[in-house]
Amino acid sequence: MPDLNATTAYRRDASDAVATCILNDLTLFYHHRSGQTHMVISPVPEIMERMDDGAPVTAQAMHDRLARDFDLGPQEEAIAEIAAHLDALVVLGLVRPA
Amino acid sequence: MSAALLVQVLRDPAQSGRLDAEGWNRLLAAARAERLIGTLAYRLDDVAVPDAARLVLTDAKRDTAREGQQALWEADRAADAMRGLDVKPILLKGTAYVAADLRAGQGRFIGDLDILVPRNAMPAVERALIAAGWEWVKEDPYDEAYYRQWMHELPPMIHVERDRMIDVHHTVLPLTARQTPEAAAMIADAIPIANGLYILSAEDRIVHSAAHMLADGDMQGGLRNLWDIHCLLPDADPAALDARAARHGLARHVGQARRLAGALYGDGARLTLWDRLVRARLLARNGWGQESRKLLVFAFYIRSHWLRMPPAMLMRHLWNKWRKGHRPQ
Amino acid sequence: MRHHITLRIGPATFRIGSAWRQPIEQLARLYAAYPDVQGAIADFTVRLQPTSLLRRFVRPSIFITGDHGLADAAPMSLAHGLLAAEMGMNLQMALGWRRHLLLHASSVEKDGRVLVMTGESGSGKSTLSALLGERGWRFMGDEFALLDCDTGAILPFPRLVSLKNRAIDVVTGAVGEARMGPLLTATAKGDIRHMVPRADAVARMDEGGMPALLLFPRFGHAADVRTLGQGEIFMRLTQASTNYVAMGEPAFTGLTRFVRQVPARAIDFASGEEAFAMVDRLWEELA
Repeated sequence: MPDLNATTAYRRDASDAVATCILNDLTLFYHHRSGQTHMVISPVPEIMERMDDGAPVTAQAMHDRLARDFDLGPQEEAIAEIAAHLDALVVLGLVRPA
Repeated sequence: MSAALLVQVLRDPAQSGRLDAEGWNRLLAAARAERLIGTLAYRLDDVAVPDAARLVLTDAKRDTAREGQQALWEADRAADAMRGLDVKPILLKGTAYVAADLRAGQGRFIGDLDILVPRNAMPAVERALIAAGWEWVKEDPYDEAYYRQWMHELPPMIHVERDRMIDVHHTVLPLTARQTPEAAAMIADAIPIANGLYILSAEDRIVHSAAHMLADGDMQGGLRNLWDIHCLLPDADPAALDARAARHGLARHVGQARRLAGALYGDGARLTLWDRLVRARLLARNGWGQESRKLLVFAFYIRSHWLRMPPAMLMRHLWNKWRKGHRPQ
Repeated sequence: MRHHITLRIGPATFRIGSAWRQPIEQLARLYAAYPDVQGAIADFTVRLQPTSLLRRFVRPSIFITGDHGLADAAPMSLAHGLLAAEMGMNLQMALGWRRHLLLHASSVEKDGRVLVMTGESGSGKSTLSALLGERGWRFMGDEFALLDCDTGAILPFPRLVSLKNRAIDVVTGAVGEARMGPLLTATAKGDIRHMVPRADAVARMDEGGMPALLLFPRFGHAADVRTLGQGEIFMRLTQASTNYVAMGEPAFTGLTRFVRQVPARAIDFASGEEAFAMVDRLWEELA
């Protein structure tokens, strides 16, 4: 379930580093630790990039970071979508609950 | 017997120096069949090896390194799924050896993820794993009921996306086995390692491995099990190991495993008649990697079931298996 | 085992043992022009063994296995022993090869540059590579193309070409009976006949080349040429590889480089002539 209050924090662990390859229509992540290759499209690469520092971040805070560079539309919907992406990344093991 | 050649070279890598090409082919085939090729590769690190064999060994090292990494990832995923359950996930066998960086883990092939949890935590663990994407391997109802009623683990589950199996154990031997190890004591004495994971104590690791090999198995993969035990023994205190084995009702098994490990991989040991029969079974592998001595192998298959089940149940089980066309290989 | 032979195909050496004489004799005849490697240390052991002791003699039934095997592999009749041996070798490569990324693809070479063709069984990739091999290209392999993840080169794996059903007559007509193996009728995949690659393909089997064009052929459709996104190409190639996952990061690096550098097209064709014309044109334009 996406966390609509956006209080859940997420982080990227240094041990979960990925190799990135941009193809013309999508982005590939090779996750060293699991040996899995993930195919993703926007906004996932943009979210991952903004977690490189390893610091915990909520969906709300991620929204604010992304909003500096992109027009995200209505805030509530955008936060829900970002939270869903973060939860999906947790399931893949690329992002961990902070 | 090529399994004997494999054992000789594992014990003393310099012995490979006398091999011709045909000898190498026999050695490599036996090592692959026994799933010891990665172990062999590490053992042969410091001796001169023909180029063609070195390529095969290097592949095996890379393969087992990657398998180890993947096993750790599965353990990480299982621990993540069990987050918030207040159950310590105790890694067993290969994954445990790799996670704790033990010598037994070096070059070891790792199949499924095996974890041990308290019996009363099983329903919660089962639910948590299903919520995280594991599902039952498609079993027929007979097998499923058999597992639930008599075995020491849940029916195997497989992760729907990663396609990897997990075996969740609540004790170390089937409930039908004559020995009844104290799982609670093993769980209580488990040792924490990194990332919220646990492994058994040095003594319990040996007790568990020996129990598996000698009380549970039909000796398939027995040479590798014994190699594990050979590598695990130096970490255990001999007196503590004796006490522990006695407490779990497995003194005889642990004693035999120590003698066999010593005889095959160590400095030798006095073997009983029964030890010699087991050794003959363990070495039943020819230069093409095939099991030889079919009758002996079959006798051990029968025996493994007899050990686990009362005779009437055994008949019922074998009948059900054979009706479906299953035969021991 | 009672009968055996050692064969080298490209970088891989196989020690093949059999409970029966026939498959080994057939291999010896068809692989006569390949390097003599008897007594070499092999990369893989292949075993053709009876499904049971009785089955060695009565309605002989071959179980294909070896260093790597599938427990549920269907047994084959002794009449298809040659096919069983080929499948045994393929099985070892598919499950055990780690020195290159294995692509389920055919490949041919011209001027040091390689055309790679991948597709499902029945796509025509095998027949196309066999026929191109008779038309000025060097045949490199009909089943596996080996991608060197360090250098980016494609290496040959020119085993016998396995031809099925309608392709058998077409290719036999082009190369002549002398280079054909026995006709194996009524296998699980229909009729099968093996073809020995040309002498140059065998003589140069250690010589790779840089990939210059990737095609996804599809036989039996109206002529058409389509472009594909790099994401789709990457996905299709990982699906066409049996060891992408097992190879780990080098495979990721090697395959993404391949996808980014090699032009690719999907081609549909209804006849061989149509396919040759398309290949010539696309090679001219893109490679």
